[in-house]
Amino acid sequence: MESRTEFKIKSPPTDAISAVEFGPNSTQFLLVSSWDSTVRLYDIHANTMRLKYNHDLPVLDVAFQDAVHAYSGGLGNTLKMYDINSNTESIMGTHDKPIRKIEYCAAVNAILTGGWDAAVKLWDPRTPTCVGSYLQPEVVLALSVCGDKFVVGTAKRKVCIWDLRNMAGMFQRRESSLKYQTRCIKGFPNEQGYVLSSIEGRVAVEYLDTMPEAQKKKYAFKCHRIKENNVEHIYPVNAISFHSAYNTFATGGSDGYVNIWDGFNKKRLCQFHRYNAGVAALSFSHDGSVLAIGVSYLNEAEIPPGGSDEREIYIRYVNDQETKPK
Amino acid sequence: MGRKKKKQSRPWCWYPFCFIGEDDDNDGSPTVTFTYCNREFEDEKILIQHQKAKHFKCHICHKKLYTGPGLSIHCMQVHKEAIDKVPNSLPNRSNIEIEIYGMEGIPPNDAKEHERQRNGGRPGTPSSGEDEPVQKKAKPEGLLGSAPGAMSGMGTGLPGMPPQPGMPPQPGMPPLPGMAPHHGMAPHPGMPPHPGMPPMHPMMSMGHVGPPFMGPGMMPGMSGMPSGMQPPVSGASIPPSRPLFPSAAVSTSAASTVASVSGSAPLGTDFKPITSVASGGSSIGPVKPTFPAYSSAGEAGVSVAGNNLAGGDQKVNLIATTGAASKIIHPPEDLSLEEIRARLPKYQRRQTDESGRSAQSEAAAAAVAVAAAAAAAANQQQQAAALQQAAAQQQQAVQQQQQQVQQQQQQAAAANAAAAFQADQQQRQQQAAALNALQQQQQRFPRPPQAVMVPASAAAMPVSSVALMAPLMRPTMTLAPALIHGGNMMRPPPMGLPPGMIGAIPPGAAMHPAFAAAPMGFPGPMLAPMMHPRFR
Repeated sequence: MESRTEFKIKSPPTDAISAVEFGPNSTQFLLVSSWDSTVRLYDIHANTMRLKYNHDLPVLDVAFQDAVHAYSGGLGNTLKMYDINSNTESIMGTHDKPIRKIEYCAAVNAILTGGWDAAVKLWDPRTPTCVGSYLQPEVVLALSVCGDKFVVGTAKRKVCIWDLRNMAGMFQRRESSLKYQTRCIKGFPNEQGYVLSSIEGRVAVEYLDTMPEAQKKKYAFKCHRIKENNVEHIYPVNAISFHSAYNTFATGGSDGYVNIWDGFNKKRLCQFHRYNAGVAALSFSHDGSVLAIGVSYLNEAEIPPGGSDEREIYIRYVNDQETKPK
Repeated sequence: MGRKKKKQSRPWCWYPFCFIGEDDDNDGSPTVTFTYCNREFEDEKILIQHQKAKHFKCHICHKKLYTGPGLSIHCMQVHKEAIDKVPNSLPNRSNIEIEIYGMEGIPPNDAKEHERQRNGGRPGTPSSGEDEPVQKKAKPEGLLGSAPGAMSGMGTGLPGMPPQPGMPPQPGMPPLPGMAPHHGMAPHPGMPPHPGMPPMHPMMSMGHVGPPFMGPGMMPGMSGMPSGMQPPVSGASIPPSRPLFPSAAVSTSAASTVASVSGSAPLGTDFKPITSVASGGSSIGPVKPTFPAYSSAGEAGVSVAGNNLAGGDQKVNLIATTGAASKIIHPPEDLSLEEIRARLPKYQRRQTDESGRSAQSEAAAAAVAVAAAAAAAANQQQQAAALQQAAAQQQQAVQQQQQQVQQQQQQAAAANAAAAFQADQQQRQQQAAALNALQQQQQRFPRPPQAVMVPASAAAMPVSSVALMAPLMRPTMTLAPALIHGGNMMRPPPMGLPPGMIGAIPPGAAMHPAFAAAPMGFPGPMLAPMMHPRFR
């Protein structure tokens, strides 16, 4: 049964997985960036690696612009664009420090990058240049597009919301409602809000609308915790991915579990089996039928959880039972 | 709702099923081996017992669940196995997602149909008190309808039941309120809270768990927590207010002390604009430690980490990872896992290997090498300028410099000693530079010749300073992009739209009107205090 619904990708990266991302309109292609400094494109239907290209330092994030253009960046500070059709790569530009997050924003057809230089930069894919650089209060740790806005999570638990239609200034400034370092942010597909996770096994559901009625709906909950010998081990929530149709989301934690949540009804829909290392990256396919799960140990603790240093990408076909609000 | 109904008719089970008889496999005909269980029960308790035993029992562990979705969730959670239909049910009534609990949740059409049958009865009904599945006889029965003569049939079919002359209104009855038309929607007022279920289950079980059910982990209070409750981290002088969680208290107080220490760092003045941007909000005072403290830490994590010199300089907030009965599985430093991991020596080394090796060296690699080389230069100010130039040039002429880069990489090591102690200063300088990027760049930009000397100095550098190259390259990178783009990028056009994007925006979405009309409606006046005036 497991084998039917879930399998491992062959020839995975040789070091920890930093990001996985499905193509924008098919379930066939998956981009994977890794600490082994590579970006790989997998065909998950055939379970083969289609192509691979290198950075000179570990790659921290990757994003599709469209089916044939990928953007990647990492410790090398450089943003690369890769044309999958022609197998050519080109340099878009650089940050002053490593690039942590890359997002494609369909609303304005632009690439957004956030880096440890506390900048978010906007790139025009047509004229491969940086068209704007926006200073954030702290090192950028998380970034997600939410319609025509984007949400930046920085160190010191700051959250900055920008409106791409008016980048003259920040749209909203907030403080994370979680007490610990922000780990991941993802905007709801319905663009009403975002989900923010922290290193302390907790997830907050937030709304962009600042009206009190809307803000009343925000909440946070604990997850990715395991009680062992009466000590609760609390794990970072590394990854969030939304099901585009149902507005439900999956979270992956360093505890090695993937949970799927119905954020509007405050329910957990399911939990998968425990993976052999922490879940470092997640991506739903565009139609929500497949979930890619990047499993890697990320130096969370001295001894890897479970004692294994596995680096795998699992492809799991999910059903409505697991992803649809009840 | 359901109660009233129950008085009029007795509970019956919606799930028809074929009972496994001995000779079942021979003929599928319902003659002998099929038992239909949409039969009626004495009361709902017995019906529920029946459903638990026959329809909602887990085939793996034999645990009895309460509903179809409950069973499905149990199997998925406990056994990680998907169940697609209710056990012992016929295909038309096997939908695991329909939530039936006793009489609750039966689709109204089926309820109506059941009543019609009861009224109409059927000639061939076995006298065991069992009823045929609605669907099975739906067609034939539809023809028969509730024939006038059916009354007697009903009498025989349901011995325990007095013929109810008052029934006629029932077929026409509106759907029972208690019977929601669709799965998952029916409220279950009387339902016990699934005592035997695994802890996770209640959260996932269907709609009947009311809105307040957030599970132990969901903290409603969190949402209401005003941001003001957060101890102002950067306001070092202000004692942290009493935090909600003891562990948080430790971390925040640690944070504030660290911040205060770093607040004395010389950087302060330069950061004034930035800090106010950074901290902008209400909670942050004039003290500007936050940014420098963190960024120097981050910087160390990013690039210096490989070498030891970083150690002394780091001022990283600590996380209280260990509480009384809990432990956060995370390194104690308040840096992201990636920042910490990036310090590992192997990621420094890899840089040399790969950049030295790779046939097509990217601009970054080139810039790195150049930066390392240039670091040897005594004067940092000039060096920074040179680096900018170099980086700019590199970006434009990557191809030409590939070979140089390789050489430089190998020769870079000698720069280490000099570079090491400079690294910290460079970091700060770079930060300042980033802040004042525009002015500095504009001042430095017009000095072209220095770019030329960069490769030369690079060539003079000895080997294996990989780890050091990272810090050194930073100044270069800092200024390079701005330089390349003429500094313009740092300051978006007054419209707030990056130049390249104007075409990308649908004409209808004119800047200002669109913004004003944004659904999120964040009125200008409110917005104003949140943004620093000088924010770019």
